[in-house]
Amino acid sequence: MKWFLLVVVLVGYVAADDDIVCDSLARIKVKNQWNRAYSTGKDREDFAQALWRAIFAIAPEARKLFTRVRGDDVTTPEFKAHSERVLAGLDVAINLLDQQEALDVALAHLAKQHDARNIPDSYFDVFLKALQSVLPAQLGRCYGPLTWKACFGVIARGIRG
Amino acid sequence: LGRPGGSPVSTTTRRVSPCKMLRLALLCFGLVACVRASDIDHCCSAADVRIVQTQWKTLWKDTESSKVKAGVGKLLLLKLVEKHPEAAAVFKDVNIATPKSPEFTGHAMRVMNGLDMAINLLSDPDALDRALDHLSDQHLARAGVKKEYFRTFGEILNAGLPKVLDKYNEMSWKSCLRGVLRKIATKLP
Repeated sequence: MKWFLLVVVLVGYVAADDDIVCDSLARIKVKNQWNRAYSTGKDREDFAQALWRAIFAIAPEARKLFTRVRGDDVTTPEFKAHSERVLAGLDVAINLLDQQEALDVALAHLAKQHDARNIPDSYFDVFLKALQSVLPAQLGRCYGPLTWKACFGVIARGIRG
Repeated sequence: LGRPGGSPVSTTTRRVSPCKMLRLALLCFGLVACVRASDIDHCCSAADVRIVQTQWKTLWKDTESSKVKAGVGKLLLLKLVEKHPEAAAVFKDVNIATPKSPEFTGHAMRVMNGLDMAINLLSDPDALDRALDHLSDQHLARAGVKKEYFRTFGEILNAGLPKVLDKYNEMSWKSCLRGVLRKIATKLP
């Protein structure tokens, strides 16, 4: 009986995980957590650095997409500026999660900027994975990986077009 | 009576004047150096940066800050176009004619985020320089964007920011934003 209950609970847990969609509550949560993680000034620089280090640790070959902005060395001013530009773009998207129409236009704009760069779809998964490893370090326990996965999916799909 | 009394005075003036000139020259040189110094050194000191970053941060506190940001960004751009009506053509693609449109909302957010990025990078001059250089190129690529729009934009910011920020240190903001806006506009006609 105990085992049965445990199984039921586990199944319920797994099902609940799959059920998480990027609805309006999830969007508020992501916005809130992002604003805390994104932070300001020097902290933001450190956050950006950590994220890009994670990205290149997962996919070292991705560096070659960033040769123009010194992807070989994430500590260069060129790459720092670039990494903050990318996060600023992501910041626009996340902050517009609660304004669907404007979000769609913003994602279309980002899609256009990414089109010419021939980014493999798998790199969006790499980005999410890196984000998932850096965010808990920024936020501690108050962090919802599945909510992030769902809402980042909305943004990634929009950029991939 | 006037003439004999007048001549020693004029000699004194003449004797003093090279010194005065030198001082003036030094002052001018100092001012020029201050104006020319790339973006932010003594014209936007570490203390100025700290003040600007702290005061700016209050605008982004809430989760709903996107609405504030977009709203403020729209007001700034609309004010710019009000002062330079011909600049409206520059924003035609982002639908400035309908300020409530999603296109213009998104654009206002991008502008605000550009500003946010610059302000947050003030503490890393090298990275700021590269970021501003990139922004400069992006503006150069837009036909019709002029240097004077950035001067006006600076004035609009200086008049507008104290209305939304409870604390606004005008000297710090002016000295830091001047360098930022000048650098973005540097390649423009």
